[in-house]
Amino acid sequence: MGLQARHNERLERLDDGCGVAAFESFFRYHYLAVVRLAQSVVGDSQRAQDVAQDVFLAAYRRFPGDYEQAAGWVRVATVHTALNVLRGERRRDTRELRVQVVTSLPSAEDTVIERERRADVRRVLRRLPRRSAAVLVMRHGGMSYVEIADALGVRVGYVGTLLRRAESALRKEMDRETHL
Amino acid sequence: MRHIYDGVLRRLDDEPLAVPDRVTDHVAGCGRCSARSAEIAHDTESAAQLFSAPQLVPDVDIAWARLQGELGSSRADEGDMRWPSARVRPRRARFPRVSLRAGLAMGAVGVVVVGTAAAATLTTIFAPTHVVPVSLSQSELRAIAAFTGLADGQTLGGFSTPNGSSTMRFGTITWSSRPAHPASSRAQAAAEAGLPVTLPSHLPAGVGAVRQFIVQPRVKAAVTFNPSAASLAGSSVTLDAGPAVVAEYAGASGTDVPTLGVATMRRPTARSAGASLRQIEAFLLSQPGTPPQLAEQIRLLGDLRTTLPVPVPPSVSVRSVQVAGWPGVLLADPSNAASAVVWEDSRGLVHAVVGILDSHDVLNVADQLG
Repeated sequence: MGLQARHNERLERLDDGCGVAAFESFFRYHYLAVVRLAQSVVGDSQRAQDVAQDVFLAAYRRFPGDYEQAAGWVRVATVHTALNVLRGERRRDTRELRVQVVTSLPSAEDTVIERERRADVRRVLRRLPRRSAAVLVMRHGGMSYVEIADALGVRVGYVGTLLRRAESALRKEMDRETHL
Repeated sequence: MRHIYDGVLRRLDDEPLAVPDRVTDHVAGCGRCSARSAEIAHDTESAAQLFSAPQLVPDVDIAWARLQGELGSSRADEGDMRWPSARVRPRRARFPRVSLRAGLAMGAVGVVVVGTAAAATLTTIFAPTHVVPVSLSQSELRAIAAFTGLADGQTLGGFSTPNGSSTMRFGTITWSSRPAHPASSRAQAAAEAGLPVTLPSHLPAGVGAVRQFIVQPRVKAAVTFNPSAASLAGSSVTLDAGPAVVAEYAGASGTDVPTLGVATMRRPTARSAGASLRQIEAFLLSQPGTPPQLAEQIRLLGDLRTTLPVPVPPSVSVRSVQVAGWPGVLLADPSNAASAVVWEDSRGLVHAVVGILDSHDVLNVADQLG
C-alpha cells in the first residue's frame, strides 16, 4: 500500500468518529504542556494558545489515527512554531503573559519588572542562533537530552555542549540587555 | 585524566546518572573542573529562572471546542487534498471580532446591559469565553469619559434612553434597545429573553423569595469613527449585548431590600467593518487620554477576543474560582459582607450572582447554577 493510500485510509478511519475521540484524548493529555511550552517563548497566553491550536491541527493531519507517534512531535513543533511567531514579530515586547488563575491583581511594580524581564528574554531569543534558542526552550521546557537530540538530529552527547553554549550566550545577551 | 568538557559538566548538572562515575569522581577531586562546574550550574540556574513563569492554566474544554471547529472546517475545505501542509493558520473571519482590549479601552462603547449593579459588571464587548478581573478606579472611569467625550454614566453602559446617539471625540455612537421591564414569572422572563433561566434550589440563610424578574432586551450599539480617528475613519464597530434576565431576591425577614441577584445574559459580541483589530487597538491605546495603568492592564490581558474583563474597583478583593468547572471571578468587599461571582459557561451564557452575603454563600449559589 502506498503512502498516499495509507494516509487516505487513516483519514477515513478518522471520519468514523473513533479517530476524533482518540485525538480528543491525545489533545487533552498534552494540551497543557504544549501551551506552557509555547508560553515560555511567546510570552502571552493567547498567542501561546494560538500556537497550540496550530500545532494540534497540524498533528491531526500529520498523524491521522495514530497519535501515539505524535507525542514527541507536538512538543518539538511547538518550540519551532513559537520561535517562528516570536521572530516574526518585532513590536510586541510590551505585551505580556497573563495568567488566568490569579490570587490577586499584581502590584504595578511587580507587573513592570515581570514584563521587562520577559521582554528581555524574548528579544534575546530572537537574536540567538536558531538552534541555541531551540535547545534552551526545549531543555527548560522539560525535554530530556535524548528527546532534544532526536529533535535536533544530533548525538545525545552533543546536547550538553549545545546547551552550555546557549546558556552562556543567553547570560551575555541578558547582560547586554541590562546595560543597554 | 583530561579535564571534563563543558558539555559533560552541563549534563552532570541535569542528568548525573547519565554521566560515567569517573567523570563525577574527577570533578570531585579537580579544583578546576569543580569551579567550572559551579560556574555552569550558576548559568543553568539563571537560565531556569528566566524561563520560569507563572503557570498558565488554560481551559482545555474551551480549547478543544475551538479546535473542533477548526477540524470541521479544515476537513470540509480539504476536498481531495489529502496532504495538507503541516502548518495551518486559523482562517480569519471576514469581519474580525474586536478584541476586548479595544473594547475596554473604548469604555464608552462598552455597552451595558442590565440596570442593576450586578449587571453593570457584565457590560462590554466581545465573543468572550471566560472572565478576568481588571482594576478600574473612579478616576480612570472619569478619564475614559473625558477621553471618549461621553458622559460618566455611559462609560460602563447605562445609556439614559433606549435609543439614541452621542458624539464622541473620534466618532459617533448610536444605540438601540427596548427598556428593561419586569416579567411576571421565570417562565415569562425566559421566554422573552430566549434564555434558560436557572435558579438555585437552596438559598443561603437570610435570603427570601424572588422579588421580581427583570428582562433587559438586547442592546445594539454602533460606533462609527470620524476623520479625527485617522486611519480608522469610516470604519465602524457594532456591539451586541444581551438579552439578560435578572432574578432579584428579597430578604428573608420580608424587607424590601434585595439581598441576592442572579443574572444571566448572552455573552456580548462585537464586529468590526473596515479597520482591522490591530488598527483599532493601536489607535485607542495610543490616545493621550487613555489612563496609562488601564492601558497597561489591557495589554497584560494578552488577547483577547475571548476574554470578558470584569471591572473591579481597587478596594475590592479578587479571586479566581471555578464554577462547575468554568473559570470565574469572585469579588468581595473588604469586610466580606457583599460578594459577587461572574463566570461564563459552555453555552456562551454569562452569569453573575451578587449578594449581600459572604463569598462562601455566593459561591454556593453559583455552583447550583453551573
